[in-house]
Amino acid sequence: MTPMIDVVFQMIIFFVCTAQLEREQFSEWINLPNSPNAPEMAQEKDPRTITIEVDDKGKITIGRTPLSVSKLQKILTKAVSDYGVHGPSIPIQIRADHASRHANVKRVMDICTASGLYKIAFIAVKDDLE
Amino acid sequence: MRGKRQRRFAGTDTDVEVSMTPMIDVVFQLLIYFLVTFSTAEVLSFLDISRPAPDAAQEAQSPPADMIRIAVMENGYAINGRDVGDEELKVLLERLAAVSTKQTVLVNCDDQSFHGRLVDILDLCAANELSQIAVMSGK
Repeated sequence: MTPMIDVVFQMIIFFVCTAQLEREQFSEWINLPNSPNAPEMAQEKDPRTITIEVDDKGKITIGRTPLSVSKLQKILTKAVSDYGVHGPSIPIQIRADHASRHANVKRVMDICTASGLYKIAFIAVKDDLE
Repeated sequence: MRGKRQRRFAGTDTDVEVSMTPMIDVVFQLLIYFLVTFSTAEVLSFLDISRPAPDAAQEAQSPPADMIRIAVMENGYAINGRDVGDEELKVLLERLAAVSTKQTVLVNCDDQSFHGRLVDILDLCAANELSQIAVMSGK
């Protein structure tokens, strides 16, 4: 009995940890703005989607890695050229803090458009289940 | 010995004891883990915007008449060049959207205004089924 319980608990812990990974790639310190009327986000998103985060102080991060403006520019330009013809249609999602100044968000949008990307969307919270 | 083993694996042995103390330890560890990592799930939504190319920004100086222009300022909004408050904007936008939802909404956001206020406007557009939204940069 005891070894079985050990193994079962190990499995529970394993599943719990791996289930959390998807959420871990975003910063938890960003307070997204509320938008109850916007369409709900699809479960299956384009695998090419790049999510850029902008916090309330204007810091730009992708997958928890802080980036400078020029670095972001380089990354996006490279992503666009890597995908060739389909490059400009890479969807961009901007997770910006509601208390961030528009100038910070604008900077990110300007870099996106400068790289040729046009599919830009802001992420907001539709429904808080609290 | 053989007989004893068989009986054990047949599950008829009442001697098998589960020592509770380590299990309770582990269960409490799990409980604490879940409590610490607990966070309510949020339903996310997205607001599509289209961006005029940077060099096209100059051309947009004189927008066509069937365009709704909304300016988001640090404190307040303006629609088609008229300063309005939150409620007034809502009413006006509803009225304009009733005419046609195919109109282009040109949102011009001030650098110093908060991102949340821009999203409020985009949300309002989404509520009125206006989907042609362009967000301009500049003062």
